[in-house]
Amino acid sequence: MKKTLSLLLCVMLLVTASFTALADNDTYLGVMLGTNVMSLDTNLATDGDSFEVIADCIDGLMQMDADGAAVPAIAESYDLSDDGLTYTFHLRDAKWSNGTPVTAQDFVFAWRRIAQEAGEYAYMLDEIGNIKGAAEIIGSEKADPSTLGVSAPDDKTFVVELNVPVSFFPSLMYFPTFYPINEAFYTSLEEGTYGTSPETFLSNGAFILEDYTPGTANLSLKKNPDYWDADRIKLAGLKYQVVGSSDNALTAFRTGALHAVSISGNQVAAAEKDPELSKDLTVTGAGYLWYLSFSQTEKNAQGGMLANTNLRLAISNAIDRDNLVDNYVMDGSLATYTAVPPQFAASSTTGEDFSADQDMFSDYVGYDPDKALAYLEAAKTELGVDEFSFSMIYGNNEGDEVGKVAQAIKEDVEDALPGVTITLQPMTKAERLDKMQNDNYDIALTRWGPDYADPMTYLGMWVTNNSNNYGFWSNAEYDQLIADCTTGAYITDYDARWEAMYKAEALVMQEAVIAPLYTKALANLIAENVNGIQFHPVALNRVYKDVTME
Amino acid sequence: MAKYVCKRIGMAILTLLIITFLLFFLVRIMPGNPFPSERMSAEQIANKRAEMGLDDPILVQFVRYMSGVLRGDFGKGTSLYNGAPIKTVLSSAISNSFRIGGIAILLGTAVGLILGITAALHRGRFLDSFCTVFSILGVCVPSYVFLIFLQYNFSFRIPFFPYFFDPSRFLFSSVIPSLSLSLFTMSTIARFTRNEMVEVFDSDYVRLAESKGMYGRNLVMKHVLRNALIPIVTVLAPLVVDLLTGALVVEKIYGINGIGKLMVDAIAGEGIDYNYVLALGILYSALYIGIMLIVDLLYGVLDPRIRVSAKEGDA
Repeated sequence: MKKTLSLLLCVMLLVTASFTALADNDTYLGVMLGTNVMSLDTNLATDGDSFEVIADCIDGLMQMDADGAAVPAIAESYDLSDDGLTYTFHLRDAKWSNGTPVTAQDFVFAWRRIAQEAGEYAYMLDEIGNIKGAAEIIGSEKADPSTLGVSAPDDKTFVVELNVPVSFFPSLMYFPTFYPINEAFYTSLEEGTYGTSPETFLSNGAFILEDYTPGTANLSLKKNPDYWDADRIKLAGLKYQVVGSSDNALTAFRTGALHAVSISGNQVAAAEKDPELSKDLTVTGAGYLWYLSFSQTEKNAQGGMLANTNLRLAISNAIDRDNLVDNYVMDGSLATYTAVPPQFAASSTTGEDFSADQDMFSDYVGYDPDKALAYLEAAKTELGVDEFSFSMIYGNNEGDEVGKVAQAIKEDVEDALPGVTITLQPMTKAERLDKMQNDNYDIALTRWGPDYADPMTYLGMWVTNNSNNYGFWSNAEYDQLIADCTTGAYITDYDARWEAMYKAEALVMQEAVIAPLYTKALANLIAENVNGIQFHPVALNRVYKDVTME
Repeated sequence: MAKYVCKRIGMAILTLLIITFLLFFLVRIMPGNPFPSERMSAEQIANKRAEMGLDDPILVQFVRYMSGVLRGDFGKGTSLYNGAPIKTVLSSAISNSFRIGGIAILLGTAVGLILGITAALHRGRFLDSFCTVFSILGVCVPSYVFLIFLQYNFSFRIPFFPYFFDPSRFLFSSVIPSLSLSLFTMSTIARFTRNEMVEVFDSDYVRLAESKGMYGRNLVMKHVLRNALIPIVTVLAPLVVDLLTGALVVEKIYGINGIGKLMVDAIAGEGIDYNYVLALGILYSALYIGIMLIVDLLYGVLDPRIRVSAKEGDA
């Protein structure tokens, strides 16, 4: 018996020793992902983590600079026609990772495919990009994708035709939906296998997929030696690790297994006190606006009570947003009093943040229990009802803090507004979405992240019958203002459009269509020897092209 | 015997079919949406539903699904890893889970048997008490707690093993999860082996063998262990399935791309993914039913009496 045991121990020791010898490739940057990479296919990816990995590997026509502005990538330059309707991109010499050149045809193929297969982000082509023919193709099953307003007169020239001028069109070009795919490579693959392994995915960008299977918790990328801007890339590669809990992330960061992790609000205070960790702590804007959505249909909220503007204003003014961010979210998130959150959309003429002034609508939104009570009294008179009982749904898998925030809102509202009762209903995010989409809720604690750097990514939602207008609010004046900004009178006059968007936002706030709560931040820990990770609230959350490790 | 085997296999297939149908139906009445999109229009979602055939009568859907499954095609995910065929995703998850679970089973069974036999042979002495305490601990401490203990001590305080699972160093990074998963099996097997062996040691036929001058290894291996094995095989079977499928939390914490983690993603992800839940449900059921079948048949090999009674039962 002793012999067997000692033999067993010896073998175990040998195995472990031999494997340790193979260990560690320190030049790879270890990065935490909050969720799995859902898809590397630009048509199917829908989450920030997937977009980030796709953008590590593929360059579009433009890329983001450190400030989030669009600068040339695969396109060396572009021309815009005088009427603002035709963009002509001139492509540089770049190669796919199988050696074939990147051509304008690759963009034509990829964009037509998005329009035809109509995934979640196809709306970037029609509603946002306003590309000719896109709406017709996306809306119907039979339309011919070749009618899309894109063409490749030669290998190095890519032409896009728009229905109306879109001032921020170049900045859309760094969004993964607009990335190219090599047609010959794509069609050579078995159906449904594109982007499911390093063998079925092509890069033209900074990194190449090294190790990946769908649903994996760990994937690695290595530097692309044939990248057109290869000299800029100093990292040998990236190692992504999906980490479910922030406690685990923090320990992994301390071991050095990960160099960049995000931590939860209640860890921030501890990290600030820790002499080592406090040096590594960086707070960045995540762009997400958390807000309350009120269902205004008769089906919900005691026969449509929340259609009453005074009642909505009462609730909005009863919530202490500073308390929410200081005591529950705690990660540097910003209390928000505007329907468009701060820090993601700046005017291209003045450079000023659209929502820099958070007191703009202080007449309608803020923390003022007395005012809230006055609104409630007005609502009671108008509705002839004294008692209100509403349910509030929220996702219990959308972050550690969300449940606490919901509880705090309930307490604020019930304290300030006698007669109003809120029942909390936690559920998965999927269920919450399902309820909102089927108009089966009273109040929902929900969020929206910006898809592009323009206030319209928020304001566009409150148009009559927009699929994200979960409250079913409708206002003709508002609809007209938004139409003027997107397809009508203001599209060629940048400043007038900016002003019109303020007017539209004022309507949303005056009627408390939503109650904005806070703009989410991300508390990151970044190892001291790592420099140059770019954080953006829009499109690509993290960019690693300039990262160095000492 | 052949008739008995056929009957058992037939029953197994029928059970699996019924489970599959129930799952197929239940998944569709679960709350949540297979296309949890905030950006697609109602027409786009309707097109997607039509494409997946979700608007057809449920029986039509079931027949279509089963004919796919019989050809080895589990379809594509509705919201999860949506580009990839489920077959591809599942096969890499299965291979990870089975390899780690396999190591855990081997380790758990081998060490468990050794501990159990040692305890039985040293009944009432120090080694016996040691094994008893160990097995009580092992049964009580959940595997993920042990995982965190190992991870903290041997990846963080003494940075020897990787902190997360690393597919490029499979065996090396399997040590911590396999060890933590094997603990429960190890303890259960040790406890059962000890108790069964002690019982067999006290039985008349062992006394007879001893009185005939049989002792030592020969007696333990030929008479005691073999007779003690039957109940052990019975507990081992569900343990195997639990290990292969129930490594849920361990996989999630250690970042292993396995079927336990996949199941959590399919249910608690952005949307409920019909096809993944189904495919995994079928896999779990097939495993359980399959292993129970094997155990039933193994009894016959281990104990001729069961074969005989089965024959009598058939007659």
